[in-house]
Amino acid sequence: MSSVEFDPRASADSLRPEAKAWLSAQRKAAGRWLTVSMLLPLLGGVLIAAQALTLAGILAGVIAGGRSPSDEGGAILILLAVIVARAALALVGERVAARAAEDIKLAVRQSLFAALMARTPEWMRARSSGELTSGMVDQVEALDGYFARFTPAMVAASVLPLVFAIGLMTVDWVVGVIFLVSAPLIPLFMALVGWGAESASRRHLGAMSRLSGLFADRLRGLVVLKLFGRAEDEVGRVQIATEDLAARTMAVLKIAFLSSAVLEFFAALGVAGVAVYVGLTFLGDIPLRSVPLGLEAGLFCLLMAPEVYLPLRTLAAHYHDRASARAAVASLDAVFDGLPEAAPLPVMAARRAVVPVRAASVVIRGLTVTAEGRGKVLDGIDLDITPGERIAILGASGIGKSTLLEAIGRFRSFEGDIRIDDAPVGAIDEGSFRGRVALLVQRPRLFHGTIAGNVRLARPDASDADIRRAAALAHVTDFADRLPDGLETAVGERGRGISGGEAQRVALARIFLSDPGLVLLDEPTAHLDVGTEALVADSILDFAAGRTLIVATHSAALARRMDRIYRIAGGKLLPVPHRPPGSVPTRAGMGDAP
Amino acid sequence: MRFFVELLRGRTRKLLLALALSVATLLTGMALLGVSGWFLTATYLAGIGALFNIFIPSSMVRGSSFLRILSRYGERVSGHAATLAILSDLRVLVFSRLIPLVPIRDAAARTGDFVARLTGDIDTLDMVVLQLVLPVAAALVAALGLGVVLAFVLPEAIIPAIGGLLATTLLVPFVLSRLGQAAGTEAVGRSAHLRTLALDGADGHGDIVALGIAPLVSGEFDKAARDLRAARLRQARWTALGPAAMQLGLGLTMAAVLWIGLGAHATGRISGPMLVSMVLLILATFEASGPVLRGAGRLGAARAAARRLSAILQAEPAVDEPRVPAVLPASGALSAGHVGFRYGDRPVLTDVSLTIEAGERIAILGESGSGKSTLLALLIRLADPGEGAIRLGGINIRDVATSELHGRIALLTQDTPVFIGTIRDNLRIGAPDADDATLYGALARARLDEFVRRLPLGLDTWLGEAGATLSAGQARRLCLARTLLAPAAILLLDEPTAGLDPDIEADLLADILTATSGRSVVLATHAALPEGAFDRVYRMDAGRLAAA
Repeated sequence: MSSVEFDPRASADSLRPEAKAWLSAQRKAAGRWLTVSMLLPLLGGVLIAAQALTLAGILAGVIAGGRSPSDEGGAILILLAVIVARAALALVGERVAARAAEDIKLAVRQSLFAALMARTPEWMRARSSGELTSGMVDQVEALDGYFARFTPAMVAASVLPLVFAIGLMTVDWVVGVIFLVSAPLIPLFMALVGWGAESASRRHLGAMSRLSGLFADRLRGLVVLKLFGRAEDEVGRVQIATEDLAARTMAVLKIAFLSSAVLEFFAALGVAGVAVYVGLTFLGDIPLRSVPLGLEAGLFCLLMAPEVYLPLRTLAAHYHDRASARAAVASLDAVFDGLPEAAPLPVMAARRAVVPVRAASVVIRGLTVTAEGRGKVLDGIDLDITPGERIAILGASGIGKSTLLEAIGRFRSFEGDIRIDDAPVGAIDEGSFRGRVALLVQRPRLFHGTIAGNVRLARPDASDADIRRAAALAHVTDFADRLPDGLETAVGERGRGISGGEAQRVALARIFLSDPGLVLLDEPTAHLDVGTEALVADSILDFAAGRTLIVATHSAALARRMDRIYRIAGGKLLPVPHRPPGSVPTRAGMGDAP
Repeated sequence: MRFFVELLRGRTRKLLLALALSVATLLTGMALLGVSGWFLTATYLAGIGALFNIFIPSSMVRGSSFLRILSRYGERVSGHAATLAILSDLRVLVFSRLIPLVPIRDAAARTGDFVARLTGDIDTLDMVVLQLVLPVAAALVAALGLGVVLAFVLPEAIIPAIGGLLATTLLVPFVLSRLGQAAGTEAVGRSAHLRTLALDGADGHGDIVALGIAPLVSGEFDKAARDLRAARLRQARWTALGPAAMQLGLGLTMAAVLWIGLGAHATGRISGPMLVSMVLLILATFEASGPVLRGAGRLGAARAAARRLSAILQAEPAVDEPRVPAVLPASGALSAGHVGFRYGDRPVLTDVSLTIEAGERIAILGESGSGKSTLLALLIRLADPGEGAIRLGGINIRDVATSELHGRIALLTQDTPVFIGTIRDNLRIGAPDADDATLYGALARARLDEFVRRLPLGLDTWLGEAGATLSAGQARRLCLARTLLAPAAILLLDEPTAGLDPDIEADLLADILTATSGRSVVLATHAALPEGAFDRVYRMDAGRLAAA
């Protein structure tokens, strides 16, 4: 969050009409709070006029009317009351605006997260999780100023100057005309200046983002620079780059700040114009009035002069809130692939019906998967797996092993037919599908929480003993028991750093806690050293007893312990000659790759 | 915050210019309203047809309005120029102070986070100049100006006027920012929690679908978002008081001056025009309080940022340079003798002994987290062992200048970055004066030369953000070429192939071993090793090293 007011990146966006409509539609979430926050500044305008009127009355009464200060006691009490009322209104206005903005941000966050949960894993593949996260947290936060400050300021700026000018016309038509003409000119001039700034900033955009990234880049690689003895030289480079960035930013700001000057131009000229005009009228040098102007009226005009321009100035101060919000919406639109409709978050369905688990059969006919830019990854695959069979799919990464598991696990769309226990996979409802089919994804994520909590995700009602059993089977306890907090060790974003191999085993423990009929494991022993791999392979086979198992792996040692081995090449599934274990009494996993 | 004061001092001239223009904007505003009020009332009292010298007051009105337009523009430009200059100084300062600190002890595990926070902290501090230093200084000067005028015109109003101005402009914002600090900290914590859950939802999307736990995760996210909303509303209770207090302070101060002025007018000590002028002057002076109030709301965040930066700037270096560096022999064995290392109270290495003779190739196998990386970090002196010693050619590396040590030993890890810049820039980090032929030689040994030759701009191809992208394997090869350019006779390779596809991994490992022939190599890996490529193979298990 930078307080440098003008962010060229924010103003250089162009929002498609649907996105603009979406932004306006979010107002609904705030309900009447936003309406109130837009009306309060108008009420404030009434109080401003009342204060100016009272003050002008007191001063004129004493100076021109010969009244004594004590005669004005009542008026001064009214003045104090107006002052207190303005302060109270400011307090209420701020809180109502905050309330409106928070309600909107909450609703947007809920619908973004719901949209994320409704997406398919296939869609997620092409997304950056960092951008999605920043979207839900930071970009939504950028809407705050738009609703809390810009929207009320916008209403005030489009109503108050006009109302004030018309009101002043009844006092003196010349003063009214001065304001009526100058105030609407301001947004016009500011828009002109804004266009200039926008095109100037577009020209610098590429260079600026490149330069601003340089500092972070060099910090990230500081160890390397230091080891090569290059760090001191890089100080100079960072200095040149950051000074260059400052110079380029200033070039844009110099144009952008012309809008400040325009605003000041009208405001200062308004005050000066009223003062000189009223003064000369008093002296009789400008005989435009039939009735002489009183001191009270003259003072009132002068006191109101800065107030006519104040709403516009407030709007200008919050104009970057609009730019930030629009940039945020554009970014959400791009990152989430369209802006979400307001949607409730999914609620936990009734617990899945407990059916006695039995090993599932899998029948695959003519399975073809086409990936963008890679053509047919799988091309007409047929495969029959009888209940309880254990299958290994070998092949280099990227060859299609994961694709096959993902198609079976409904993570990816495909052509052809996949049936689990004779039911097409697409026809099974999500709840019972996930209950019957366990899938270990390639890079499993450990969620914020403890190791035990991560395992428990698979079965929220599991007992501690169940969790310990699953953790032991997955050899999680091997490393967890060495930690001071054991299975209660915090992991995830802000917890202890956990290695890839350890995370893999926690994810396996999750699967071991569930009770599926079909187990799909994608590289379950990746990141493990040879010894641990053999132990984990034993556990996998233990767990797979009475279930159907498909393992995608590049470990020949693991593959050899399955009943059948296939290799994927050229989009086809090729059987690999293999004597199933039992016929060859080897110690698990200690052999060499074929 | 002391470092920040030094930074400000370094840009005194820019700051003074910005301050002068801020003050000029305020003062011309005060003059504009004050003279206007006086002029208007005086002409009224003079009456129609009176002889009245309108030239001086009306030109003062016009003059101050034009000056104000110019100074307003100048104030914005110069204030931002000073801020950007100070930010740029701060970046350079942080960067140069960090060099002796690497690896930053607590941050070593998650450099990305650390860098993001560091850059964020630096950006947060920009408000200190724009919204705090300049407006506060300008408000003080304006208060002084108001005091001087009142001393001549209405001395009895000095105390309420200046008191009201300072209380509203300085005291109220700071008191409120202090009172709101707890609520602000709470909001920051809840926002961080929400971010964690959002990242879990995005990064763990596949696991969530596979486990069928979307409703569970959504419920947690929903609760966190509601908690954040509640915390922000609590924070808003304090921030909403700011504008209200400002209105109240301005109104009450003006009413007090008005009351005192009315009394003085009744006794003839102040003229009518001057009375009007003073009331309007108060209104104009309070313009100073707006920016301070907005700035104070962000003071808490800026203080926290400054505290974290200050902690980094004052941190002890990870290793000390010897006062009188020993000279290394031309060649010799690198050895670790009974080395132990703890991270906090967790032992990472226990009694590790290892000798690498010149030209020897050694592999260390073991799971990630077993201590392999730590051992390599100690061998290149990114940290010092708690027990035992590491010697090169018989000399304790603690007694050797680190620059000389790093000329002898080079480290290549899986995280070694490709820097933003050209391919040539990236390679020349290893050898600043190398010519193109040398660079292509290194690229050839890393088997990347054909790829680079095919690029339209060759070595001048821009890499990184907004530049060409390399595949993971190509990036590793570029880093390998960079390492090969360095003269180091000993290469430490920390999982140089981890995270790559298995076939690419095997190719790259074979190429690394060919390219480094003639040098001593220590390879830490959990990958399978090619047969016969190593003189000795060790295994690291829970911080203990044993022959495999």
